[in-house]
Amino acid sequence: MALRIISARLGEPGAFWTPVEGVNVEALIAGGFLEDTHTAPGKSAKNKTKAPDAANTTQE
Amino acid sequence: MATSTYLSNPVVTVNAVDLSDQCSGATVNQTFAQLSNTAFGDTAMKYTAGLQENSITLDLYWSTASTETYATLKSLVGTSTNVTIKQTSAAVSATNPLGTLTGGFLAELPVVYTVGELATCSVTFNGGTFAYTEA
Repeated sequence: MALRIISARLGEPGAFWTPVEGVNVEALIAGGFLEDTHTAPGKSAKNKTKAPDAANTTQE
Repeated sequence: MATSTYLSNPVVTVNAVDLSDQCSGATVNQTFAQLSNTAFGDTAMKYTAGLQENSITLDLYWSTASTETYATLKSLVGTSTNVTIKQTSAAVSATNPLGTLTGGFLAELPVVYTVGELATCSVTFNGGTFAYTEA
C-alpha cells in the first residue's frame, strides 16, 4: 500500500507517507488526509470500451 | 525561580493529524495505579507501581470543514490511536519534550452547540501507554 499525503495537517502534500504504529490509516483515508495510490484512478485504470460482440448481440 | 509558561504555540496531533489550530486546551494525565506492598514491620505505608492509567483530554473547536476536527475524529470513535503534544513548535529536546499517548481509546465524541458561540468538543483518549521523548 503506497500512501500519499493530501492534507498539510499530516505533512507535505504529495509526499509519500510512512505508516506509524498505532495510527489508524483507514481513518486518515476516510478523513481525506491520505490517498492510497494503488486504488486511486490513474492512466492505466481507464476503462476501455469494448466493441459489442456481434455473435452475442440480441435484437429486440 | 525558573518557570515556564506555554500559552500560545503547543503542537497537538491526533492520529498523526496536526490539530493545533483547533485546540484551545489540553490536559495530560500520566498515572500509575499505586499498589500497596506494605508489610509487617513497616512503620509507614509503601507502594509500588501497578498498571498505567493514562489519558489526554483535548478541548477542540468543532469544525466540519474539509480535513478539520470532524474529519479527523469521525472515524476514530470506538477505536484506539496515538495522541502527541509538545509545548512549542520547536524541535523536540530536553526542554521541549514530546509526550506521546500510544493506543489511547476514544469512547465518545461529545459536541457542544451554543447560540452565539463557536461549537466545541472535548474529547478524552483513555488508556494506552504514555511517555515523553526528548530527542
